[in-house]
Amino acid sequence: MTGTFVRAAALASALGPDLDSAVERLAGAPVAPARNTKAGGAWPYFAIPISGGDWRERAEAIARSVAGDLRRAAAIEPARWAELPCIVGSSSFSVGAWDEGGWTALEPPFEFAARLARGFGVRGPVTAVSTTCTSGLSALDIALALIAAGEFREVLVLGAEFCNRLTVAGFSGLELLSATAARPCDRERDGLVLGEALAAVLVSAAPSPWRIAALATAMDAASVTGPAADGAAIANAMRAAMALARWESAAVDLIKLQSGGGRLADSAEANAVRELFTPAPRAVSLKGALGHTLGASGPAELALLLASLERGRVPATWGFAERDGELGLAPSGGEAHGVRRVLFNLSGFGGSVMSLALEKAD
Amino acid sequence: MYLLAPTALRIAPEEFPARVRARFAAELRRAGRFAQLCLLGAQACLDAAGGEGPLAVLWASEFGALHATRAALAEDLKRGEAAMPFSFIATQPHLAGALLAQRSHPVTRTACLYLPPDDWPSLPRLAQRWLAQCERVLVGCVEESGPGGTAHRSDWCLFRKTPAAGALRCERSLKAESAADATAEDWIPRVAAWRGRSPLILRGGEDAWSFASDG
Repeated sequence: MTGTFVRAAALASALGPDLDSAVERLAGAPVAPARNTKAGGAWPYFAIPISGGDWRERAEAIARSVAGDLRRAAAIEPARWAELPCIVGSSSFSVGAWDEGGWTALEPPFEFAARLARGFGVRGPVTAVSTTCTSGLSALDIALALIAAGEFREVLVLGAEFCNRLTVAGFSGLELLSATAARPCDRERDGLVLGEALAAVLVSAAPSPWRIAALATAMDAASVTGPAADGAAIANAMRAAMALARWESAAVDLIKLQSGGGRLADSAEANAVRELFTPAPRAVSLKGALGHTLGASGPAELALLLASLERGRVPATWGFAERDGELGLAPSGGEAHGVRRVLFNLSGFGGSVMSLALEKAD
Repeated sequence: MYLLAPTALRIAPEEFPARVRARFAAELRRAGRFAQLCLLGAQACLDAAGGEGPLAVLWASEFGALHATRAALAEDLKRGEAAMPFSFIATQPHLAGALLAQRSHPVTRTACLYLPPDDWPSLPRLAQRWLAQCERVLVGCVEESGPGGTAHRSDWCLFRKTPAAGALRCERSLKAESAADATAEDWIPRVAAWRGRSPLILRGGEDAWSFASDG
């Protein structure tokens, strides 16, 4: 089988400082997010349980920790590792450094991306990309293009989002946050809960268990902060991903929803799913467990989902309890037997919509 | 691939509001200075290039929407107020694609890259790869005025797969050692100004690109 594969992944998130602990915790009982008075104010916030140093030192410590996990998982010889190109997707880069350090702590986004790449010990070309909440998948999109063009056989993709007051204040200003918990697809859902994550995904031309069959993009220009109610652009992205992957809709075993618990956004995605699937495939959302990690959410949710599937589990959708009849979606976790084709949705401010088709390769 | 309508805008900070009003009749609702600057240049390029149909839009900046970020931090957070919705999570840089799609052209794919000045060749490289999936890629380099009151910059060009009247053939060059150094600030203006018979070869970092008349 040819194409691009997910060779290895690593993650630091509110579920734990590494991917193994996150998968283990996700298999247990749901945990409510803490109220992070530092960045989140009165709002609940999913914070990475790593502390120490100032904002930048903490980010660098998280990067070193995730890098170590990824290097072990990837098992690449040091010389090849050092030459890896690195594509960093983030919506906020290092703006959180301002919270503690003021104006002098602000640095151009590219410099922070290069700092993260150094933390991973790679010296290849660094690219920083921002497309709001889809930034991490945009980074993956660039990586896929690099590999398809034959410029590199392996590319390191980072999704980075670290706590900062500005992002929380912005979502608060838009009245998009829940005061209690994220409840994806649930009848009582009332908004998002934000979170931080650093996720690393090493994609490669060499075969691995999960192949990236397609990554499709679409633009939803109806509004710059939310999808069109009919979910047309989301449906277009999913339709394009399936076409590129040469799948019929009946072949999809699982949809990883964007759903984070917002009323309008969840409804638009449900409309898109209904347009393409009868009945809807099994579905899962990870934002009740990770929080909405914005620019990191693509790589973070990809790492967590594939690690769970490799352990034979479709993760439970934390926060989902009661089906909303209008949505018609009922995420369900449990045994992953037979899950071989996954559609992975992501969308963000600025109308960016992406759908990734993942296929079990063995 | 082929390059059309290289367009370089330089706008003095004090002239910016008038330029926006002249082009769009009014300040664009919710769009900050960076997004409006992107749109001014992108629309000028598209006007010059002509043509219709879906677009991918790719643009780069070293500092991004610094003005909006600083304003949000200084005016909102310091007062303990909610940030203005469009000044956080890098929405301003990314907003340009959505605004362009709202105004005229269907947009299929967008990305805003943050690049150091000598890494401009990342733009034609990525545009070339995107052309495998679309017919046209609009590429820009955008920078707000710095502390010294320098002009705002919004430079754009349109890449397409097929030849067109007035288009330059654009390809990666193996002659990097003999190429002229260029930066994000001047590569599009130099392409726009070039009238020579031999190809113009520009280098950024270790990568060089050649621009030549087609035929």
